[in-house]
Amino acid sequence: MTGAVDVRAVTKRYPGSLALDEVSLHVAAGEFMTLLGSSGSGKSTLLNVVAGFTEPTSGSVLVDDADITGVPPHRRELGMVFQHYALFPHMNVFENVAFPLRRRKVRGAELRRRVGDALEVVELGALGERRPAQLSGGQQQRVALARAIVFQPRVLLMDEPLGALDKRLREQLQLEIKRLHRELGITFVFVTHDQEEALTMSDRVALLREGRIVQVGTPQELYETPASRYVAEFLGESNLLDEDGGLLLVRPQHLRIGPPDGPGLRAVVREVIYVGGGLRIEVERPGGQRLVARTTVRPEELPRPGDEVVAHWSEHDSVNVPA
Amino acid sequence: MTALRRLGDGWGMLVLPLAAFLLVVFVYPLASVLARSLTDPEPGLGNYAAFFDSPVYLDVLGNTFVTAGLVTLVTLLLGFPYAYLMTVARPFWRGVLMAAVLVPFWTSLLVRTFAWVLLLRDTGVVNALIPGEPVPLLRNLAGITIGMVQVMLPFAVLPMYATMRGIDRRLLRAAEGLGATPVFAFWRVYAPLALPGVAAALLLVFVSTLGFYVTPALLGGPKDVMIGELIVQQLSGVLRWGFASALAVILLLVTGALLLVASRLVDLRKMIGSGS
Ligand SMILES: Nc1ncnc2c1ncn2[C@@H]1O[C@H](COP(=O)(O)OP(=O)(O)O)[C@@H](O)[C@H]1O
Ligand SMILES: [Mg+2]
Repeated sequence: MTGAVDVRAVTKRYPGSLALDEVSLHVAAGEFMTLLGSSGSGKSTLLNVVAGFTEPTSGSVLVDDADITGVPPHRRELGMVFQHYALFPHMNVFENVAFPLRRRKVRGAELRRRVGDALEVVELGALGERRPAQLSGGQQQRVALARAIVFQPRVLLMDEPLGALDKRLREQLQLEIKRLHRELGITFVFVTHDQEEALTMSDRVALLREGRIVQVGTPQELYETPASRYVAEFLGESNLLDEDGGLLLVRPQHLRIGPPDGPGLRAVVREVIYVGGGLRIEVERPGGQRLVARTTVRPEELPRPGDEVVAHWSEHDSVNVPA
Repeated sequence: MTALRRLGDGWGMLVLPLAAFLLVVFVYPLASVLARSLTDPEPGLGNYAAFFDSPVYLDVLGNTFVTAGLVTLVTLLLGFPYAYLMTVARPFWRGVLMAAVLVPFWTSLLVRTFAWVLLLRDTGVVNALIPGEPVPLLRNLAGITIGMVQVMLPFAVLPMYATMRGIDRRLLRAAEGLGATPVFAFWRVYAPLALPGVAAALLLVFVSTLGFYVTPALLGGPKDVMIGELIVQQLSGVLRWGFASALAVILLLVTGALLLVASRLVDLRKMIGSGS
């Protein structure tokens, strides 16, 4: 399999800001890698450096062990999908998807077959004659996907491709992109600021913060053994407890709320909310710190705001986080 | 009746002053020109027959089209990159470029044309910069073209700039990401999207150039007479009002036919509008 991407010590400096600070990242061939981070953390810059739209101040980019740092984007053979679709408004869907093939001198029956196949893959086979303006956002992004894969690139780069869609469409397209990844077997580098999206879609996630990668790993690794407080707080809800110099992480589903005479941390119930078929209980410790517990089983006695309780957890459900 | 009532019952009334104004200053004179061309000096098609019988007049019409075509071509060739530059320039430089187009636009045509005479004559500034024998730039097609191109540039730059400003430059980046060289991306993506503006500029410049008088009169030579000059000659020189009227009608009809053909080829409304 081909399509391994190697980012080596890439720095990108803009006047007045350091967008990427010595970033190194290896993406294995065929892997689904997500670049996750809040707005301004450098995700797009990193993706654009790989795509060739942005020249790094220093460092290099390799695809399948070939250094492509100075190669212009049109010679990199990488597919790219943007948040704003970037469909050509003067061409119909067919011509949009045919664009990369025409550039590569594919003609006639083969052109029609390959465009048709790509449109089938994104389930838009019947819409070839439409103009982009006549399509919904979700359909437009599928056309953009078809256009990005029709020339069989080794790597598909996506910059917040679902960012402009509403929640339901987003979830549907998440599944389709996962399926596409399985079917094509090529490397996907996916950018998002949505941690849930990153966790559900990726083989591995690289979390960026202020132009640096703070942790790379499988979704499970990032969620269960975060390398820092920042990572723990970025991914899902977390209870972080200071414990003699260290930091202890207990995820809300592992925190239990019990009667005040038991062992654990003393706290007062502040809020009890039903969410998604379970309970979300927020309690406050004497110092003012809030803890969150999530449970699907109803405790024998439903705590009420103002109740004195203790919060406790089993040893093996807590994780030490490097401070 | 219904149309009238619809006009009467609302904002439609607001077009009445303009409609009346146009009726007085446009429709009426036009009708009287048409009438004069058919009646002066005697009723009939004599004036038109005189035009089509004489190769001299047909030459003038042909020359008018050739000159207008040349001026349009040069104007577009200069205006396109200029408008493009305006879309990519920083705000300050965009302002400078815009002012450079508009300031001459606001200056008297006569003043500008005389300025060209001073610049282009054998002892003028331009020839002082060119070594050797003076290059004839005045009283010929070169002079006409230079003068008219300068007059017409705003009419080319502004519609093209308006269209180009609306083009999403990220599309070019997308095209390059899909394997297009910058040149391929330009021709397949940028140029088609800029086309409505180019077509608008082309029509505007060509049609305006056809009726030009001042510039060809001052900068052109005896061989480069355009139909506008011929009309003035006939009016004020030899006082053939009926014939001058016929010339005006012919120019109007040819221009109208041209617009008709153009509207078949491209969507005029789209060009005059946003061009998107
Ligand atoms: N063209 C640019 N000029 C100047 N600064 C830029 C440019 N592009 C990005 N930056 C800066 O680099 C940082 C990272 O930007 P970006 O990669 O777009 O972040 P993200 O995609 O994670 O939101 C930001 O601080 C941003 O302001
Ligand atoms: Mg971004």
